[in-house]
Amino acid sequence: MATSAQPWQLGLAGSAGAEALATSGTASTEGPERPGPLQDETLGVASVPSQWRGVQGIRGETKSCQTASIATAEASVQARKHVDAEVQTEAPEPVSLPSVPRYNGPQLAAFLRKVEAMVTRELNKNWQSHAFDGFEVNWAEQQQTVNCLHTLSYPPAQGQGLHVTGVSWNSTGSVVACAYGRLDDGDWSTLRSFVCAWNLDRRGLSPQQPSAVVEVPSAAMCLAFHPTRPSHVAGGLYSGEVLVWDMSRPEDPLLWRTGLTDDTHTDPVYQVVWLPEPRHSHRFQVLSVAADGKVLLWQGVGAGRLQLSAGFALAVQQLPRNTKLKKPSRGEAEVGATAVAFSSFDPSLFVLGTEGGFPLKCSLSAEEAAVTRMPSSVPLRAPAQFTFAPHGGPVYSVSCSPFHRNLFLSAGTDGHAHLYSMLQAQPLTSLQLSHKYLFAVRWSPVRPLVFAAASGEGDVQLFDLQKSSQKPTVSVKQTEDESPVYCLEFNCQQTQLLAAGDAKGTVKVWQLSSEFTEQGARETELLDQLASEVAS
Amino acid sequence: MKTLVNFFPDLFQAEVEETLKRIQSHKGVIGTMVVNAEGIPIRTTLDNSTTVQYAGLLHQLTMKAKSTVRDIDPQNDLTFLRIRSKKHEIMVAPDKEYLLIVIQNPCE
Repeated sequence: MATSAQPWQLGLAGSAGAEALATSGTASTEGPERPGPLQDETLGVASVPSQWRGVQGIRGETKSCQTASIATAEASVQARKHVDAEVQTEAPEPVSLPSVPRYNGPQLAAFLRKVEAMVTRELNKNWQSHAFDGFEVNWAEQQQTVNCLHTLSYPPAQGQGLHVTGVSWNSTGSVVACAYGRLDDGDWSTLRSFVCAWNLDRRGLSPQQPSAVVEVPSAAMCLAFHPTRPSHVAGGLYSGEVLVWDMSRPEDPLLWRTGLTDDTHTDPVYQVVWLPEPRHSHRFQVLSVAADGKVLLWQGVGAGRLQLSAGFALAVQQLPRNTKLKKPSRGEAEVGATAVAFSSFDPSLFVLGTEGGFPLKCSLSAEEAAVTRMPSSVPLRAPAQFTFAPHGGPVYSVSCSPFHRNLFLSAGTDGHAHLYSMLQAQPLTSLQLSHKYLFAVRWSPVRPLVFAAASGEGDVQLFDLQKSSQKPTVSVKQTEDESPVYCLEFNCQQTQLLAAGDAKGTVKVWQLSSEFTEQGARETELLDQLASEVAS
Repeated sequence: MKTLVNFFPDLFQAEVEETLKRIQSHKGVIGTMVVNAEGIPIRTTLDNSTTVQYAGLLHQLTMKAKSTVRDIDPQNDLTFLRIRSKKHEIMVAPDKEYLLIVIQNPCE
């Protein structure tokens, strides 16, 4: 709109002004009355309003705002007094009988005279009574089948393709730990692996997330929880080391280690066992057996080291010759030990399973020095006292019966489980449980005639010698693709639980049916009968 | 009676031992013990810890059974207590000063 200037108006105004100017000037020159030369005059200001554009001003309004004032208040807090308290469980005191109190001899004799007749009558009646034949009372709800309670695994270990090589329950029966490693060939000497523990009694148990995980420098081959301390666990590694961890300390779980000294095993450690010390029965030592033929007893000394306190070495020349064994190839003097089991009745007696397939009866108190070239800080002794008839392949697991002093089971890679008596070399019975290998066999802690076996076909088999001596009573499939089950352990506190670990890296906790957890009436006698049978 | 004890203290001792041996040798008997009125075992054929356990527990149970019988009928009194379990039978013969406990494994 700037072009709408009107110059003619401007010019007109200008000319009018000019006219006025001119008029006044000429008037002064024309008028004779007024004498005057040209005079200065000031004229009015001529103003021209601009009509170029209407001024569009920015319309603005001023406003102001103010936040309301912030309310503040001051208050102070002080913790009340607190008290520290510590809790410590004590090892149980052994029960002692108080000294026999003084009693009145004649009164006691009179009392016994009075009651003897009545008691004798009742004893005789009881012996002949059929009143309770077949009378059974069920206090607990009967569980009919074996079912899987938990399937536990650790995904990083499964991702590396690790197998579960050992499981163990702790002394309270609420924590199960497993060791990851590999039992078949593979580049596993440099593989870092894990030891994981799950607390089954904790609410919100997550099966993929163990409550404690420990990284170990080499594949772990075996595991054993301390018999009285619920968080201490010992493990043996592929490198031959034995370590003890405290699972309740996540930031620094390693308690003791053997290190790699001259004393350490030079081959994978196949089994570790906790043993009470001979003089202080509430302290424990760790016993480890390895494929180099050594059985070593370690004691924890200060600064986290496990020191060798006693040792045994197996040599072919020193094995008792009561059974015909395969002649060893030249140069082979060591007998690799693959499994160990201690007798529950005689604490110095133990059974070793060997790579040659023959179990050995050994004693901790053997005196004879071992013939071995391996250097050792403590003199090694030869422990073997008796050789049993061999399996067709290495023995991977032995287990001594908790109910009978002479019976033990051994399982080998020939798929057979042999029931031996300590008194004779030939097995009492031989059961073929698998067409592939058998990796673990364990007696039940509550039923004298029951044992469980882990097979290479992925089954956990439960055997009841009372029902059938040829085939398993129950066989549960742990893995779908028949990958082997490597280890199993019964829970001694919660006797209906059985944990088994397999090659897929999972640990399954099975709940057993009532028939496997409740002892029948005369099982111990049947076991005695079985033991006294002589194999034909 | 007192003079007899002083002269022949072994007489009663021998009788006590013989009676207990007779009871123990019955068919199926696993263990025998004599407990006094406070629940302290005086004679036993079992090991220490088992004996202490049996003595304490059965003494309490016998007192309870006795008071039960007396409560139901004050003219009545407990003469014998038998507990039958899956594995064996426990028999308790009570008295004012002593308890005789016998554990038997009956034939099934």
